Amino acid sequence: MITCRELVELLIDYITDELPPERRQALEQHLQRCPPCLAYLETYRLTIKLTRRLPRCPPPPALMQRLHAALKSVPPPPPPPTGGCYA
Amino acid sequence: MKDPRGERNGDMEDREKHHQPPPSGPQVEEPLTPERIFRDYAGQVYHLARRMLGSDADAEDVTQDVLLQVVRKLDTFRGEAALSTWLHRITVNAALAHRRKKAIREEHRVRDPLEHFLEDGGHGAPVRRWSVSPEEQVLDEETQRLIEEAIARLPESYRDVFILADVEQLPNAEIANLLGMSVPAVKSRLHRARLMMRDALAPHFEEASA
Repeated sequence: MITCRELVELLIDYITDELPPERRQALEQHLQRCPPCLAYLETYRLTIKLTRRLPRCPPPPALMQRLHAALKSVPPPPPPPTGGCYA
Repeated sequence: MKDPRGERNGDMEDREKHHQPPPSGPQVEEPLTPERIFRDYAGQVYHLARRMLGSDADAEDVTQDVLLQVVRKLDTFRGEAALSTWLHRITVNAALAHRRKKAIREEHRVRDPLEHFLEDGGHGAPVRRWSVSPEEQVLDEETQRLIEEAIARLPESYRDVFILADVEQLPNAEIANLLGMSVPAVKSRLHRARLMMRDALAPHFEEASA
């Protein structure tokens, strides 16, 4: 029987199904008898889900203006070779 | 009983799905011009740098450096998948270099989450469910703020891995490559970071005790 602390240490591999079968079985047996660990698993998963929903807001307009101004200082790329041209 | 693993495979699938270059249109691929790089990728670079550095001004400097580097080498890219990977690499490197240059060392002290356990391995404090709907697709402003603040309080070495894994959703092998670490070391730090985040968010989201 694994302890609550051992269960928590295994969660990263459990949620991606990377535990060996016997460890997974021991963990699931523990979960069936331990409501605090079941709540811990749920909140661990929620932490990941909520973080993944952080929005990516647009960059500040002042930054975009600064970037476009900086872009003007970059020389244009060399033209592609035309090939087959003999002087 | 519902499978406690829930959507266990969703973790990997989400990260694989997320780690794609921006859609390039159904039929005609828009050429990679400097203007398009700035329009489509400035946000990606800015947000990664801002979260790693915890400063708007530093993130703006890094974004400018990174995008100008990209534009100068634009003729060497062979496709957007390569560009997206390269952008992550140079943004991470530029942010780490910026941090070293400015000697930004704000190592926060966060208690090791595994210290909360008793000697016999049991929980040292009650564990309560959270009153947050996992189906809620859009975070309200207060929840966003709480998560952003909790990320900012992570110790740097944990924050970098957490941002790349759970915000940017990069695969562990790529994070290991970007940060010069082994995959087991990435997983170990990611797990600790998630436990720290869980502990930081729990007081705000826990259901009231009965």
